[in-house]
Amino acid sequence: MLKYIASTIKDLKLLSRDRAGLAMLFVMPLALIIIMTLLQDSTFKVLEERKLPLLVLNMDKDTFGINIVEGLVTSKFFKVVDQVGDNEEALKTLKERVSKGEFQIGVVVNKNATELLRNNIKYNIVKQLPDEDSLVFGDLAIKLEPAAKIEIYFDPITKNSFKQSITSALNEFSSGVEAKVLFGVYSSLLKQLLGMEMKNKGGFDKLVEVQTLYASNDNNIVIPNSVQHNVPAWTIFAMFFIVIPLAGNIIKERESGISKRLSVIAGSNMPIILGKVTTYFFVGIIQAISMLAVGVWILPLLGLPQLIIGDNYLALIILTAAVSLAASGYGVLIGSIATSQEQSSIFGSISVVILAAIGGIWVPVFMMTDLMQKVSMLSPLNWALVGYYDVLLRNVGISEILSYVLLLMGFFLICISCAWYFNRIRKSS
Amino acid sequence: MNLAIEVLNLTKQYRNTNTLAVDNISLTVETGEIFGLLGPNGAGKTTTISILCSLLQGTSGEVIINGMNLKSHSNEIKKNIGVVPQDIALFPNLTAFENLQFFGNMYGLKGTILETRIFELLEIFGLAQKAKQKLKTYSGGMKRRVNLIAGILHTPKILFLDEPTVGIDVQSRSVIMEYLMRLKENGMTIIYSSHHMEEAERYCSRVAIIDKGKIIIVGTPENLIKNHTNCNTLEDIFIEKTGRSLRD
Repeated sequence: MLKYIASTIKDLKLLSRDRAGLAMLFVMPLALIIIMTLLQDSTFKVLEERKLPLLVLNMDKDTFGINIVEGLVTSKFFKVVDQVGDNEEALKTLKERVSKGEFQIGVVVNKNATELLRNNIKYNIVKQLPDEDSLVFGDLAIKLEPAAKIEIYFDPITKNSFKQSITSALNEFSSGVEAKVLFGVYSSLLKQLLGMEMKNKGGFDKLVEVQTLYASNDNNIVIPNSVQHNVPAWTIFAMFFIVIPLAGNIIKERESGISKRLSVIAGSNMPIILGKVTTYFFVGIIQAISMLAVGVWILPLLGLPQLIIGDNYLALIILTAAVSLAASGYGVLIGSIATSQEQSSIFGSISVVILAAIGGIWVPVFMMTDLMQKVSMLSPLNWALVGYYDVLLRNVGISEILSYVLLLMGFFLICISCAWYFNRIRKSS
Repeated sequence: MNLAIEVLNLTKQYRNTNTLAVDNISLTVETGEIFGLLGPNGAGKTTTISILCSLLQGTSGEVIINGMNLKSHSNEIKKNIGVVPQDIALFPNLTAFENLQFFGNMYGLKGTILETRIFELLEIFGLAQKAKQKLKTYSGGMKRRVNLIAGILHTPKILFLDEPTVGIDVQSRSVIMEYLMRLKENGMTIIYSSHHMEEAERYCSRVAIIDKGKIIIVGTPENLIKNHTNCNTLEDIFIEKTGRSLRD
């Protein structure tokens, strides 16, 4: 016990006297969390608030074209700019402006689109009527015309997500306009067929409403936002970066001969290793507390949403402790395997970046391929992230995150065991 | 004759090498003597000392320390040995006192007993006034003195020193060697490696010259000089036995 306490005190003293190390451990992660959250939040704002600029050429000038443009204008996703003119010259100009990157997307509603739509709707209705009734329309020779067209031009650098946004928006608007025109055509046909005058009440009410809700058993649901997602993700990332100073500390002691000196002292060296783990475990805990505090108190000052911690404090504490332990264990392992400080810092940082990447810190796991989704389950950062999402977004208790806590503890034990094994091999060589 | 250390046919071959770092050496060290292990660079001194203090495992052979086999009783043996490595194996960002307190704790010492012992030794080595200064502010000689203190805090029965006086001023060397003589007089067995022939001749009860992993010659400095009629000093014998060619 004396060895363990002395080792912990010694490492705490050394750490407290290393200003650069302290800055790396505490200031840099805080800067990281603020910058990443601001960046990701502004990305959301590009889509949600700043609106995607669209160059629109309405060559139809009738119901269909007017309604499509109106739909785009009233949508919260697009900023519509009209392309002046309604001829081939205007179309050519639109294409040029998009191809030069002035606009990423150009939308063209073709000439006579409304007329073509009306005609084809009428054709389809008349086709359904018995021959004798269709005669009511006399010499009305209705032929199927080409479909009314909306053309979308993309700048080659346009992101797929933008393409999908505009395509689905136009599909939605055109369906609405189709229904409107269909209703108008039906009215006109009924009048012709039955002599019945329809009351002109304008459009009809929306019949289907799509509601977006979050599935949770808890009524105090936290709305997911960039802060709620980013703070836990980058907290885990930063906590795992303690592998660099911890591994560096171990290697420095080995290179200076201190490890040798300690290994000729009777008894196990495990208390010394555990002393380091304890020191860096508390570093991880302080990092987590400070980063969560930034989410709660600092980010709102920067115009970002506040991090909602929820009320499952015990689950949060246990999970954070498990993450910190796992990170410390990994640091001990890297320090035991690497033969130089350079090796440990390069291997340590790159391996954490890789584990973060496959663990879903940068790209959400659901966006990965099936194979990568399976691979992500091997990353301790993924276990930590899913655990945090469970606590912070799904508001679950200890029993629901226990499996992740156990996985992280298991990872810690494996790391420590491997470190011990590597040290034995080194001694016998 | 009371043997502190008995080495029988000790061999060490490092992994992925063809040469033997220690080649079938046998030697004995009596209790209470200062035994000098002399040799040029790469001769096998540090490897031998590392095996004797159980830092490394020998490839073959047997080591008996205080009547106990090193392989089967290494933990028991470790309790009775002290090691002063060639490197300054201390924390530069801790004070001398903090360093010694840490190593004292590692040896199981604590409280006022440890503090008294630390200040007693710091006083002897002329460092008491600077006990609370960080080690990185110390000169080379001062660091060497603290390095020695860290190895003797727990008053071991056997002390291994790997070139304890390398690169230091005459005054520091003198203080260190005089104190080692005091320890010897108190019954401590000391095994030390060095390049300083004059120092070895003056302070060692017996010396062994080792080269290319083999022990070339063993004896008291006086007897060795007496038996080599063309040599006046231990250094002459050393040159005669190991040659003048430069070593890596």
